[in-house]
This record gives sequence, structure tokens and C-alpha cells, in this order.
Amino acid sequence: MIILGIETSCDETAVAVIKVDRGNFKILSNVVSSQIAIHAKFGGIVPEVAARNHLKNMLPVLNQALIKAKVNQKKIDYIAVTNKPGLITSLLVGTETAKVLSYVWKKPLITVNHLKAHIYANWLPSGVGGAPASHRNDRAEAPDLPIKFPSIGLIVSGGHTELIYMKDKFSFKNIGQTLDDAAGEAFDKVAKILNLGYPGGPVISKMATKGKPDAFDFPRGMINSKDFNFSFSGIKTSVLYKVRGLKKLSVKQKTGIAASFEKAVVDVLVKKTIDAATKYKVKTILLGGGVTANKLLRNEMKKNVNVDLLIPSFNLCTDNAAIIAAAAYFKILKKDFTPWSEVKVEPN
Amino acid sequence: MSKHITTSEKQTIALGKKIASGLKDGEVLALTGDLGAGKTTLIKGIAQGLGIKKIITSPTFVLMKVYQVNSPKASRRGVIYIRQFVHIDCYRTKSPQEIVDIGADEYFGDKNTVVVIEWAEKIKKILPRQTKKILLELGNNQNTRIINIT
Repeated sequence: MIILGIETSCDETAVAVIKVDRGNFKILSNVVSSQIAIHAKFGGIVPEVAARNHLKNMLPVLNQALIKAKVNQKKIDYIAVTNKPGLITSLLVGTETAKVLSYVWKKPLITVNHLKAHIYANWLPSGVGGAPASHRNDRAEAPDLPIKFPSIGLIVSGGHTELIYMKDKFSFKNIGQTLDDAAGEAFDKVAKILNLGYPGGPVISKMATKGKPDAFDFPRGMINSKDFNFSFSGIKTSVLYKVRGLKKLSVKQKTGIAASFEKAVVDVLVKKTIDAATKYKVKTILLGGGVTANKLLRNEMKKNVNVDLLIPSFNLCTDNAAIIAAAAYFKILKKDFTPWSEVKVEPN
Repeated sequence: MSKHITTSEKQTIALGKKIASGLKDGEVLALTGDLGAGKTTLIKGIAQGLGIKKIITSPTFVLMKVYQVNSPKASRRGVIYIRQFVHIDCYRTKSPQEIVDIGADEYFGDKNTVVVIEWAEKIKKILPRQTKKILLELGNNQNTRIINIT
């Protein structure tokens, strides 16, 4: 079956086409607005991060996704779209587009929770039409091993930090979340405090490779709390006061702060995830979301996790529509469709 | 104008609850203050004061979050009800137009709605005239915050 996925919940306008054949996933195209340049005759792409020009971007991105996948409407079996969570006006551009396509092309429509899609990214092979997943922890040689349940999912991005318990591949139970800032947001804001630019994740990580992770002692918020909630607001404030106290920062101090901050955040994420895995006696840990592109997080997880660990390939960690289509597959299995006239967006 | 000094997160939340007790529907609160100054913390207090049970998380990434206010006890102000609490964050926006583009300004002054805005100085031009301004400053101590309400 061929599924067209649409994602507009936050910054990215994204459309993808995937093919699923007896449970095997293949990405035929995966177009994300910030990563492409489209000829002006299709309307052009507006690349600014917060510009929210989903409406302008939607048709060129859709068009590109169909061309790259070499499919036309006849070959598409299902339409999938993110309907929650996100910014209402952004979500609406995606859902309205999906509704029109579902109605005009007469294809069943599936609504997708963006957060679940980040977990289902682990079922996708890396890259467009790429080789089977090579991202699996120390079983890269055996990528076709089935994903075992129960499992714990960690979703960690600029907007979310959540731990999920999955008793099977269809069920999601939130067991913890951030009480203030998301982990990715902490990266962005600390990058701002250090004058490193946006987005913060990649620049902090780059700086951190040159610094000592024990140069400064930053708080690991809620690391010993009995629940599975997180807090990343305090560490931001702690970095701020450290920087204020030091006045002019040397390069060594800057790299030290970056490395110590990154280590503190990763320590909390790893410990809480492993604690959850132990408590719920799971067989697998699944990661997802933009922050899982962080190399230290990937490496520390690989080092410390002693059950199966799956991490999406780098290009599938951040927001994209292939993961939306992948998530839809699991709803298709249960024949969980939504008529186009009944699609609702749920921002929170 | 009133000046408040809080020396803990708890006190900042308590001040937020106090602010909430005097809110009327249609009000817009504009918060200004540096990173870490306690804007989100104060807003957590305001939301709690309005009876919102959901966890208030930072809307920096998504720009705006809308919460339903259900508790009649907390939301009742005479015959006026507050039914919606809109939390906007302009940290990532470059121009007021972006806030207009997402439709956020349509909540300003809206009946049954209270709007709180972080990094409000970035959208000064589109704020309604009656906007209540809250200025938060970092104290010398890591836990101290100076909060001015006008």
C-alpha cells in the first residue's frame, strides 16, 4: 500500500510518500520545506524558521513529494495527516489540505498524533529508499529483528519531552513529561545565553566536543524524583547565573559550559528512561524527536541501555511527514479512519 | 504600579495566583524579562489561580497554547466568566506580523478570555491600549526576582 503523509504542526511544512509491503517500509519521498529550494514558478519556499508560511509552502512541497516518489493520485491508497498536538493555525493548513485530497481523490483519511509518529520513526528504514535501518543498537547486522514489547518510548524535541509506556505496538500511555521547558528548548536557550545562534542543539554539541563535561556543575533537575517527570528550566537559569558571574567568557569556559550543560541534560534523559524501563520491565527502548539526533544522547543510551534500543536515523529524528505516514499504517491495520468531514484539530 | 520581590519559585507562583484573583475576562498581560527571569513560572501561578489543572509548559517552540478554564469557582468574577486562557510566547518571533499570521491577536480583548504574552516587547505595536504590563528582573541571588506590575 502507498500512503501520503502531511505534517504542519510546527515549523515545517512536510509531505512524504511511503510504501508498506507486508510490514516492510520504504520511503519513496520525504520533502521538508526548510531543506529544499523550489523553483519560483511553484510559488517558492519561505525558509525562515518561525515564518509559518505553511499555506504558501504546502502546494510546492506536495507537488515535489509526488514528483520525487514518481506516483500520481491513482497509486496513492491512503492520506495521513497530523491533527495534534501543535499550533492550531499551522495544523489547520495540513488538515484542510488532507481533507480536500481525501474528498477529491476519494481516499480514506487517517489522523495522526505527531508525538506517536516520532516513535513510529523507528519502523522506517534510513533515508529515501535507503537500506534497512542501520541505526539499531549493536544489532546493525540484524536489522530485521522484530521490535519486542512492552517498550518505553522517549520523545524529546524542542517542544516536547515525554516518556511513554507501550504494552504493544498500538498502545501509548504517558508516564511522565516535562513540567516546564522541553529539553530541546533548553539547548536553544543556553545557546542564546552563550551567544551561539539558533538552533541550539547542533552548535552546543559542536562546542561541547571541545570542552570538559565536568568543568562546571549544573543541576540535573528532578533526576532523583520518584516519578518520570522532567524539568529543564532550572538548568537554563543556572547556566545564566554562571555566565553572569564570569563576565567575559574565555573559549575554554564556553566549551566547558556547553559540555557540562549537555552532559547534565543527557544524564537526566538517560537515567529517567532506564529507570522507566526497569520499573515497567520492558524489552525495548524506542527514542524519537529532534534531540535524539544528539550524538552524546545516542552514545550514552547505547552505553547504558541493556535491553534492545532503537534510535531513528538522523534525518528522521526531526519533524517530517514520512513518520506521519508510518504512524498511519498502524491505524490502517485497525481500520481506524476519519471521514474528511469529521476531522478535528486538537492543539494541546 | 506595584513592586514585588520574590525569593523562590514558590513565591513567584504565589504572586501569580494573587494576580489571577484580580483578573477580568478580556484582559491582556504583557510580560517582559530576560531568559530565566521567571515569566513562565509566574504564568504557571496565574493559571493555577484560574483553576487550570493541566501542566503549563513553555510555548516557546509552538508559539501559543490555549487552555480551557473549567473551574467555575476560580473563573467567576461577578457575572463574568473566564473560559479560555491563552499563553503566547514571542521569543522566536521576529515581527508582530508573525503573531497576526497565526491568529493569536484575535484573542486580545476577547470576551471570556485572558491572554498572557511572554517577550511581549517584541509585539508592542499590536498590543491593545489597556494591556497590563509586568516587568520581571533577575535579582543578584539566583532565586530572587523583582517583579513590577503596572
